Amino acid sequence: MPNEIFTINLNAQAIIPEAFILLGIVGTLLVDLAGEKTASKWAPIICYFSIGSSLLSLALQWTNPVNSSFLGSFNSDNLAIAFRAIIALSTLISLLISWRYTEQSGSPIGEFAAIILSATLGAMLLCGSTDLISVFISLETLSVASYLLSGYLKRDPRSSEAALKYLLVGSAAAAVYLYGSSFLYGLSGSTNLTTIGLEIINKPSFITSLALVFVLSTVAFKIAAVPFHQWTPDVYEGSPTPVVAFLSVGSKTAGFAFAIRILSTSFSSFDEEWKLLFTILAILSMALGNVVALAQTSMKRMLAYSSIGQAGFVMIGIVSGTQDGLSAAVLYLAAYLFMNLGAFSCVILFSLRTGSDKILDYSGLYQKDPLITLGLSLCLLSLGGLPPMLGFFGKIYLFFAGWANHQYLLVIVGLVTSVISIYYYISVIKMMVVKEPKEASEIVKSYPEINWGIVGLPPLRIALYTCVAVTALGGILSNPFFKLANTAVSETPFLQDIIAIANNIS
Amino acid sequence: MSIAITTQFICFTVLTLVVIIGALGVVLLESIVYSAFLLGGVFMSVAGLYLLLNASFVAAAQVLVYVGAVNVLIIFAIMLVNKKEDLKPIGDIKSRRIISTSICLTLLSLLIRVDLTNVWSLSSPQNSIGEESTIRIGEHLFSDYLLPFEVASVLLLMAMIGAIVLARRDVLSKDISTGLPVDQELIEKSSEPLLTNKN
Repeated sequence: MPNEIFTINLNAQAIIPEAFILLGIVGTLLVDLAGEKTASKWAPIICYFSIGSSLLSLALQWTNPVNSSFLGSFNSDNLAIAFRAIIALSTLISLLISWRYTEQSGSPIGEFAAIILSATLGAMLLCGSTDLISVFISLETLSVASYLLSGYLKRDPRSSEAALKYLLVGSAAAAVYLYGSSFLYGLSGSTNLTTIGLEIINKPSFITSLALVFVLSTVAFKIAAVPFHQWTPDVYEGSPTPVVAFLSVGSKTAGFAFAIRILSTSFSSFDEEWKLLFTILAILSMALGNVVALAQTSMKRMLAYSSIGQAGFVMIGIVSGTQDGLSAAVLYLAAYLFMNLGAFSCVILFSLRTGSDKILDYSGLYQKDPLITLGLSLCLLSLGGLPPMLGFFGKIYLFFAGWANHQYLLVIVGLVTSVISIYYYISVIKMMVVKEPKEASEIVKSYPEINWGIVGLPPLRIALYTCVAVTALGGILSNPFFKLANTAVSETPFLQDIIAIANNIS
Repeated sequence: MSIAITTQFICFTVLTLVVIIGALGVVLLESIVYSAFLLGGVFMSVAGLYLLLNASFVAAAQVLVYVGAVNVLIIFAIMLVNKKEDLKPIGDIKSRRIISTSICLTLLSLLIRVDLTNVWSLSSPQNSIGEESTIRIGEHLFSDYLLPFEVASVLLLMAMIGAIVLARRDVLSKDISTGLPVDQELIEKSSEPLLTNKN
């Protein structure tokens, strides 16, 4: 054994994108030593470089994916690359919209960037992990960083409450995952996801179902599916808004990537069971998320519930498990990245200028700030799934794939809840646009003069323009997105078994 | 019965009794200090169970991590927040207790059923490696578990930085670029705090 160790081929080039993120973490921590002023100047640049080169190396990996590295702990197949790119992009945009927010709330920028980059590192590794241990470590890196980020504004009791709630629920979820994976290891004698899948085919179904339920509940916690969603509204309301933007896209994407991987490798012979459970989770998430969002008065809380509903839509694609279903899920997550972050950048801009996130305070905004009104309207319409936005094409593809796979119940629930969601999205738009100037809220009446000159606002502006442009035009020009999502699924070896199963059934 | 088996049986019985009684004490005793020390005892006896299973490395790790770090931390935390406070009595405590007891009992019966129905032996019988286990773990850490091992260092670094950020006292008093005063709270001000809102 000792001699073999030196000749093992690790294929370490698979984690080059993560290595760039790691360099970013070290860089931001180093410039932070030179004082807050230097940090606020250099940390953003370092972050842009590290995420940019990470995205570039992901793009280079696209044509020659590494299908096994670190002796089976990590796969960099095309699906993992697609999900990692979504996560890296969501971090980039969340960082762009966070600089002004962190400075205005008086919290240190260098550590903020370092922690959010470590969360990205964990999330990206989670997308490609093919081993129970590396899944756990990367999941914990993501989770611990998320707890820290949500409690980052420590003087605010809401922020501390959010962090504590998140920590307690998250630790319970991690413990449940460990318990489930100890069952899996006990049954199969291996921690590799594929080996587990081969070993547990002939095992008694009772204990494997229990392990499946335990692992699935961790996944459901990460993607905030009902009934594992109770932490979401409070955490989203109490966390700093840029962090919420990251949690609602990056962290969720990582959860979905992990779900697809473990369900289609370890539990591929139990596809009826997990599809049933996922169907229940999807229906509950779509129904509850969208219905409770109707009653919200705070913008962040409304977006929290709407993100629960959106996760339900993505699950339709995963449940159908076909080529189209999975690529629709990938496509919808990419679309969700732009429309949700676009909405969040508008919400952050509004709260930076007014210090409020009440939906009522938005009334009559178009008089004072047409940019926020336009951007938020486009993003919300896209989230609701109205043509010709990006979200419409993503949603229609999901429903089409679900219908083709005979998931009629799911698609009908999806359609009905989409209509409900359009109602609450449009009521925000109506609030901003229709009100007469004299009916405008006090906050809008005393709206400050628009000044883009302050440090940190130009990046926010770039993020806002990009997200809104992609959301508005991406629908019409969505063909390349379709192609990329399709390649991501069809070129990924481990998905082929489950696609074959789904094709046989239908 | 040979002497070895008898000794093992006696050790197992004593350790199991200590674990069960200790765990009950942790939950049922009113004083939190007693609970904390009993928890240390439970951890020690679990380490003993690991030793009986020939897992010396895990036993050592159990003592170092759980008794040496976690339990000491708990006791420190208790000492630091040793504040007399009259907590509000929780309403309908009885029904809450009944619900949580029934949930726990359901889970217990589920696990017992799993334990009884499953065949636990592995397909290929593996000999216990006993003393060699530490070497074997080291080899695994630097071969097939290399990636998680390295990522753990990032996790620890980030946890450490985060703990310092949350715990340190010196906070910025003004916005770095505009010089306006800041309060380290959320930009979105709320009129009522979350907790009072719900009670």
